Amino acid sequence: MSPAKKDNMLYIGIDLGTSRSVVSCSNGSRKWVESYVGWPKDFVAKKMLGKRVLFGSDAVEHRLALNLSRPLKNGVLKEGTEQDEAAVQELIGHLIELADVGQDNDICVAVGVPAEALKINKTAIKNAISQHAKKLMVVSEPFSVAYGLGALDNTMIIDIGAGTVDFCIMHGTVPLEEDQRSILMAGDYVDEQLFKLLTEKHPEADFTLTMVRKFKEKHGFVGEPKRRVKIEAPVDGKFTEFDITEEMRKACESPMPAIIETAIDLIANFDPEFQQAVRKNIIVAGGGSQLAGLNTFLSEATKQFEPCTFTCITDPLYAGADGALQLADDMPEEFLEKL
Amino acid sequence: MNRKPDIKTTVLRGVYEDNAGIPRSCHGRRRSKFPSGPSSSGRLGKLTLLALLGLVAIIGINFRFVTVSVTGPAAMQVMPVQSQPLLAETMPALSVSAADLVYDRYRPTEVLGSTTGDNRDGTVLSHVGMPLAELFSLKVKTIVIDPGHGGIDPGAKGHRGLMEKDVTLDIAKRLRDKLVKLGKYRVLLTRDDDRKVYLKERVAFAKAKRADLFISIHINSVPAEAGSVNYVETYYFGARADQQSLDMAEKENRDSDYTIGDFREVVARIGDTLKREESRELAWSIHKHLYTSLKRQNPGIVDAGFKAGPFMVLLGVQVPSVLVEVSCISNEAEEARLGTRAYRDSVADLLKDGIVEYLDHPAYLKTIDRGETQYVASQER
Repeated sequence: MSPAKKDNMLYIGIDLGTSRSVVSCSNGSRKWVESYVGWPKDFVAKKMLGKRVLFGSDAVEHRLALNLSRPLKNGVLKEGTEQDEAAVQELIGHLIELADVGQDNDICVAVGVPAEALKINKTAIKNAISQHAKKLMVVSEPFSVAYGLGALDNTMIIDIGAGTVDFCIMHGTVPLEEDQRSILMAGDYVDEQLFKLLTEKHPEADFTLTMVRKFKEKHGFVGEPKRRVKIEAPVDGKFTEFDITEEMRKACESPMPAIIETAIDLIANFDPEFQQAVRKNIIVAGGGSQLAGLNTFLSEATKQFEPCTFTCITDPLYAGADGALQLADDMPEEFLEKL
Repeated sequence: MNRKPDIKTTVLRGVYEDNAGIPRSCHGRRRSKFPSGPSSSGRLGKLTLLALLGLVAIIGINFRFVTVSVTGPAAMQVMPVQSQPLLAETMPALSVSAADLVYDRYRPTEVLGSTTGDNRDGTVLSHVGMPLAELFSLKVKTIVIDPGHGGIDPGAKGHRGLMEKDVTLDIAKRLRDKLVKLGKYRVLLTRDDDRKVYLKERVAFAKAKRADLFISIHINSVPAEAGSVNYVETYYFGARADQQSLDMAEKENRDSDYTIGDFREVVARIGDTLKREESRELAWSIHKHLYTSLKRQNPGIVDAGFKAGPFMVLLGVQVPSVLVEVSCISNEAEEARLGTRAYRDSVADLLKDGIVEYLDHPAYLKTIDRGETQYVASQER
């Protein structure tokens, strides 16, 4: 008989994303923070800010006084970058703090990370988490999403994040390396494209990447627009309205060929007997899944190969963390004891 | 029957095993068509190789192969042999000759990593003793020269402040002018001013311009504790490498903007026999000219060899490609030399000589002296 789970054990699921990091806890707490960590540059900054380290929007707001790190930029910790490793450690600690776990509870943490980071930085990430939890697991983000949705068999997950788009085929077991792919044409890439298109078309206007990212998050779409996209940006200090529908479409559609090609190629390499089942069961997760018209666009675009059915999840922000939480919660005690 | 509980248990066990560092006991359902998971490009590569083999067989009917016979370690004669009706029939006769053992550059295991399995076809191709480009009369038209670093990335710095990015750019420009003067090649630079160019962009440039040859120029540097050592080394792409080469590759690959996905995709192309074999020839030719001549100017310079290394910039390029670490800017005397136009011009001359010799005269036909022979053998073992 497997050992019973302890009463004072709290389970925590964390989605350590390039853009946002999310925590979901068995005590019901669910929080998220932008994946920025900043340390005061000097004692003046430290005194002014009154904190040893700042996170998320707080860090971005005070970035001029901080050594700012976005540790999983491009979906991976750069090798040997101590600051990024320290940032992951701080971020995990902060998320656990946000989850309000209390002093007396043992905690078991499952962390979903971009697939690239799992391959390259697994040890570094585990070391960072081990500062906060004795029982820990690290899995890939698309896998944690799949687990949370119960999509464990004949399913493809496409997780469109900020740094990477991760692809993963689930076939009743933990995905192997050949079941997973990653490409860099993700949210950040779309932002850059949009920024470039807008600054080229409207050189008189002042755009920043942050503004452009907000435009995308609010108005991003692929395919036919439901309405014109009109935004305001300063020109010589005066806010002026611009119609950016075409630029928005071009930018948002820019990674689509790579996404479709990768998905089709991954399916084509899957066991032929199960390819049809996977085609009918493609789940799109991550922030990018919220682009308006995405599932229709992808379904139309893949018609020329073999018809595929795409479903965009409804709660992309918490899907990874919720999946990781469920994974931690489901893990038998006999396994947990050895982790 | 409800399979879900079984699947969940399998998945949980898999997660546990992955995280506990235990080799996975259950892999669930695996793809049956391609169990080892080669990409479609990998399969294409095999087909291409088979097609090449067929072509060689056809050519073999009328083509007089040459093979190398050696009576002593320093002597080499080129002897014509009778053409054979089918290459497959010649396979048993293509035994490893003394020249292979001495010269070592045609050692099949080195060229292809293995003489078994999928590589066997490539081994046969490489073993006819003739570069494949020569065999198929592939002409070099476009040479891309890649000055290392640039812009915000200065590369190595000398004690007096001389920067690698400036030296490599100047040498590259001089080399370009010298090659252009020959009137036979289109010569392009990946950057012709002081700007940051990512490795990926350099590779993309070479591809877009349909480069036939790719030369990446760098200057070495060693930490202060290593003293004032000064050495020259030349790399061609290869997965097998010693620790020093791996360290160097890590240094030059930094900030490459490549993902592991990209890396896997390009690693799948390592079996590109033509590229590896030709890159090796090119590296050898350049290195020989560079080292022997620099040694005359500076007897203290050390020969660190020509060798394989996993450099992203070489891996991404589909044509013969080498990365030359000209000398060490951390050596003060060498920094002073690199600071002079005359020296940089002579380095460009040596690089040109190495490239031209590779292009005009297949290295396997050359007489090699004992020193180089020993050097090559010792380097590659």
